[in-house]
Amino acid sequence: MKDAIRIDKLLACIVILTFVALSYVNQQALVYQMGLKVKENYQIYSKLVDRNRILGYNVLNLKSPVSLEARLLAKKVELNMPRKWQVVKLESSPRKFVQKDLGKKGLFASLFVIGREAEASPNVNSFAPVSR
Amino acid sequence: MQKLITPRIRKVLYCLLVLFTLLAVRLLFVQLGAARPLSKLASDQYKTFECLLPRRGIIYDRNLKELAGSVNLNSVFLDPLIVEDKDSAAGRLSEVLDIDKDKIAGMFCEDKRFVWLARKVEPETERAIRRLHIKGIGFVKEPKRVYPNKELASHITGFVGLDDSGLEGIELKYDKFLKGSPGWIYTIRDAKRREVPGYEYREIPPADGNDIVLTIDSVIQAFAERELDAAFKKYNAKGGSIVVMDPHTGDILALANRPTYDLNDISGYSIDARRNRAICDFFEPGSSFKMVTASAVLEEAAVKPEDEFFCENGEFKWEGHTYHDHKPYGWLPFKDVIKYSSNIGTMKSALKIGDKRLYRYIKRFGFGKKTGIDLPGEVGGIVRPPSKWSKLSLCSISMGQELTVNVVQLACAISSLANGGYYIRPRVIDRIQDKAGNALERFESKRQHRVVSEETALEVRKILRGVVDGGTGKSAEVEGYFPAGKTGTAQKVEENGTYSRSKFMASFIGFLPFDEPRFVIAIVMDEPRPQHYGGTVCAPVFKKVADQLMRYYKLPPRSYKN
Repeated sequence: MKDAIRIDKLLACIVILTFVALSYVNQQALVYQMGLKVKENYQIYSKLVDRNRILGYNVLNLKSPVSLEARLLAKKVELNMPRKWQVVKLESSPRKFVQKDLGKKGLFASLFVIGREAEASPNVNSFAPVSR
Repeated sequence: MQKLITPRIRKVLYCLLVLFTLLAVRLLFVQLGAARPLSKLASDQYKTFECLLPRRGIIYDRNLKELAGSVNLNSVFLDPLIVEDKDSAAGRLSEVLDIDKDKIAGMFCEDKRFVWLARKVEPETERAIRRLHIKGIGFVKEPKRVYPNKELASHITGFVGLDDSGLEGIELKYDKFLKGSPGWIYTIRDAKRREVPGYEYREIPPADGNDIVLTIDSVIQAFAERELDAAFKKYNAKGGSIVVMDPHTGDILALANRPTYDLNDISGYSIDARRNRAICDFFEPGSSFKMVTASAVLEEAAVKPEDEFFCENGEFKWEGHTYHDHKPYGWLPFKDVIKYSSNIGTMKSALKIGDKRLYRYIKRFGFGKKTGIDLPGEVGGIVRPPSKWSKLSLCSISMGQELTVNVVQLACAISSLANGGYYIRPRVIDRIQDKAGNALERFESKRQHRVVSEETALEVRKILRGVVDGGTGKSAEVEGYFPAGKTGTAQKVEENGTYSRSKFMASFIGFLPFDEPRFVIAIVMDEPRPQHYGGTVCAPVFKKVADQLMRYYKLPPRSYKN
């Protein structure tokens, strides 16, 4: 009977040890998998950063004076410097106030306001330099 | 216990004991006998030591607009021993990479485990190659230099080779600052060659290259290049250069040459197009050099602006040689001698100071030695000492013959007059900075020595104003800004040593406004045709560039009387 108890204890010890060992192995495998996942994500991140940088340079390329001039020349758009007697009026913020005021008049009032058929949207410089 | 351990179990246990004993013996043998070679074999398989390439520094213009930067692109390599169905693979890769099929097939036959297929391919090409799913093809990231402005300021920035080391321009001269230093990474890899994170990981990150901020303004550079290009094409010139400079600081705001080249695709251009003519080519300046003679005779008080000179009605015999003017003139005050660019009047004025004194001023204006501009390949030009001058040399040199200069030297010389009489070293680089924008080295502008007195400088500026105001440089007039300058039309020297009658160097060197100069512009055109006069070919370029320069800096026009 005593021997039977001892063997039970031995078996229990073996089971516990095996469980602990397996847990350790499982934990190491999880650490390894998580590490791989982190690595993969980092690779995706660096890939996106590289892509961002390439796109950033493409934008710089498109914005460069050389490219813009080539495009204007291709379209045969001739831009001249204004003469002394010419007045160049640059629209900026005042237009926004007019639009805001129109908005405040309400739907009924705005029905009687003649709006522009085609109005250029405000030019927003959306390009942000590539972060480094 | 007797019941539990039956004879059968006992046999199994004995067997296990024998097996474990054998294993222990084997372990002892491995540990004591073959440990070293085996552990080296294993570590070679799972430990990796990789070099991490640094990111090359960025080249900015003075407003921190990028002129050169780097992106990471994949290079494609192949392991010929792994590739299956080589013929089909070569055909498919040939279509995607636009490389001859036989050339790729040749790569497949190489007896190596690593062959470069294509370096630094575009992302679209890379994706197309990945879609082919060819075994034995791999990718390695490599930095590629990109120049978003293509040919803009190409002769200043220069370019790099395939290994990312500088080959021309700033890229070459400041390579050690730009390239940075590589790092390394030590990791463990699994059977699939994936990095095992968290195990024996050591890394020394690469030190990225430092950034360089130039004195160039890309906007000024763009319109200077545009106007130079237009004149270069209009007059079918062999070459052309333009330099825009701040005479007070020595900052080169624009420097361009024609022909030029696209920095992103240098293979399609000749070496001639890549040459920075503004500093690498020297030529006889011709009449534009008369500003030096005028400065010398005025500073030496040998001549006053109102002194009259008889210009021999266009033909003057001296030491057995006959000199000519482009138009016959009689008596002219000295200021008009320069205004109408009379050779005879200029050489007569030079005769008043003699060779040694003229030579001293030539050297003071910086001719005959390098300006020290931060660009590679500069030539100093040739100025012989008076001991080697012939009897004709004084007359010839006074009107810009028998000596050679480069365009930047001419710009520096006229800057000395524009800034009140000091020689100033030209500079292309403002500072070298780290990634955080902290300046590591500043290239301060330096006034080097006095060339002429402030009074003489002002006097010469007034005379040069006359050149534009009714003289040979009328086409350079910019309404409201009162430019001044000097035209030059020099005959080129033929191979047999005689002056050519059909090949000319046209030039216009000027500044504006003449009383408080802000900018110096030097334009030189090599062999323009059919027109060849500096006043016809180069002065209009000056006018156009100066006009845009004034608008760019929002300098209001003014009225000036006197």
